[in-house]
Amino acid sequence: MPGYHSKLVSPARKIGNIAFLTFKTKVRGPITTLNPEDLVDNEMDIIDEALLYFKANVFFKQFEIQSDSDRVLIYLTLFITECLKKLQKCTSKDQALQEVYSLAVSKFDIPGDAAFPLNSVYSRPSTLEEANTMRGYLNQIRQETGQRLVERVFDKETNKPSKWWICFAKRKFMDISLSGRGQ
Amino acid sequence: MANHLPAIVIDNGTGYTKLGYAGNTGPQYIIPSSIAIKETSKVGDQASRRLARGIDDLDFFIGDECIDLNGYSIKYPIRHGIVEDWDLMERFWEQCIFKYLRAEPEDHYFLLTEPPLNTPENREYTAEIMFESFNVPGLYIAVQAVLALVASWSATNGVQSLTGIVVDSGDGVTHVIPVADGYVIGSCIKHIPIAGRDITYFIQSLLREREFNIPPEQSLETAKAIKEKFCYICPDIAKEFDKFDKNPSKCVKKYSGVNHITKQPFDVDVGFERFLGPEIFFNPEIANPDFSTSISDIVDNCIQNCPIDVRRPLYKNIVLSGGSTMFKDFDKRLERDIKRLCNARQKLSTQLSQGNITPSQMNVKVVSHSMQRYAVWFGGSILASTNEFYTTSHTKQKYEEYGPSICRHNPVFGALI
Repeated sequence: MPGYHSKLVSPARKIGNIAFLTFKTKVRGPITTLNPEDLVDNEMDIIDEALLYFKANVFFKQFEIQSDSDRVLIYLTLFITECLKKLQKCTSKDQALQEVYSLAVSKFDIPGDAAFPLNSVYSRPSTLEEANTMRGYLNQIRQETGQRLVERVFDKETNKPSKWWICFAKRKFMDISLSGRGQ
Repeated sequence: MANHLPAIVIDNGTGYTKLGYAGNTGPQYIIPSSIAIKETSKVGDQASRRLARGIDDLDFFIGDECIDLNGYSIKYPIRHGIVEDWDLMERFWEQCIFKYLRAEPEDHYFLLTEPPLNTPENREYTAEIMFESFNVPGLYIAVQAVLALVASWSATNGVQSLTGIVVDSGDGVTHVIPVADGYVIGSCIKHIPIAGRDITYFIQSLLREREFNIPPEQSLETAKAIKEKFCYICPDIAKEFDKFDKNPSKCVKKYSGVNHITKQPFDVDVGFERFLGPEIFFNPEIANPDFSTSISDIVDNCIQNCPIDVRRPLYKNIVLSGGSTMFKDFDKRLERDIKRLCNARQKLSTQLSQGNITPSQMNVKVVSHSMQRYAVWFGGSILASTNEFYTTSHTKQKYEEYGPSICRHNPVFGALI
């Protein structure tokens, strides 16, 4: 049992081979409707799962992809590590929210781009239109994940990032990272 | 037994030697298996280097006393459980008996231990030293794994079985040793490269990432203290992480230490390492990328390799021994994991036979008891306090008549008492 996998049933629709999962969000993007039946126990969406399993999964060097939802899970786990790297330098929650927002919307690689680390298991979008949807979808999910992460990482009383999260910033899930070397 | 003084039980491990009198619940002494001697020059072979004049051959120390000596070299006569240097071992025993136990070896029977797969020649050497140097009246050499099984009788409600699988985890290495009717199934022994020290190192690395007020030169001992004081096994790490996030005040503990040099106290928050440390038994890859087989898989595999007629009794009696099995709920986790593996296998065989074979439920039981830490010594203490011990031991008389070869074999006993 290496690692924890997404319990979400992969939906029929996917982009490339990433599951197109719905999640709770106020961020604008391709996900607009939310059907509670698509969530685990009617409440956990993929971002909740990723945040819940992050600390456990980040220790594993190998991870078997069992479903298309797992691909989203892996992507989010890697993205959370990137966020934590930013958050460890932040001194207040407002600053943190800004940092993760700018990280989420900054230029990022999608499967198929040369710098994307997992091109062997993520397939390239077949058309330009699909690539655009994928970018929009990942953008939306990145923003939402960042926001929720900040809620968890920042201590309400001290307004400082919790060391119980920051200590994972240096860990490399599957020995890879979304940012290039030395960053 | 009435005519005898209690037997002396000495368990020589790679790291620590446990020694004491039979019938007691714990060893009198637990000392490092180290010996500090003076070596005169760096030339010549070992024997001439150690050639001593006058009373120089009494100039040596064993155990904890070795550590701070100047001008002595520290040796460890036991490697991987097997005695490598008999000359030093003899002197080690000498102080064990005269300086620590303060006993007259002529008056006591001796029970010594050996690792599984020890050679018969080594038993002969042991017998020579014991009978000729120390003049003991009787000697029995027991296999450590069998003694660990005997020790578990305190927790098995009167069932005294010598069939079982021993999971023995100390500081350096972990063994899984199947025993059937008191005999070790040597071909099925498995080793796991994960033990107490690896847990300490892993905890140290976790602390290094988060706690910055531990003095670097004290980080190893801090990690060790935290391991011994706070660690436990959890059923599911993701849920445990969640529990820590929701209720940090209850789960996070505080460890306070004192800096040796500045004498300033320091505080450490003990968090996830409480359950992540021992977790490396079950998910080794979180600490060691080269090894990823869980201890439960290894135990299960080990039993599956054993002769088919002992497999069910082995599953029923999985016995823990050694300090690194002392983590809370280690037994529950191991039992649960092995049960799952068994059930999955039985389900598969039902499926493959298309419902024609329905195996009866496998009874999996992991035995945990309060003597686990010194299980081997405690088992020796139990056996050596029975009357049977005195009839089974090799006596001085027999030794003089037949020679050291009688100690090549030490008959199993105790199964029917």
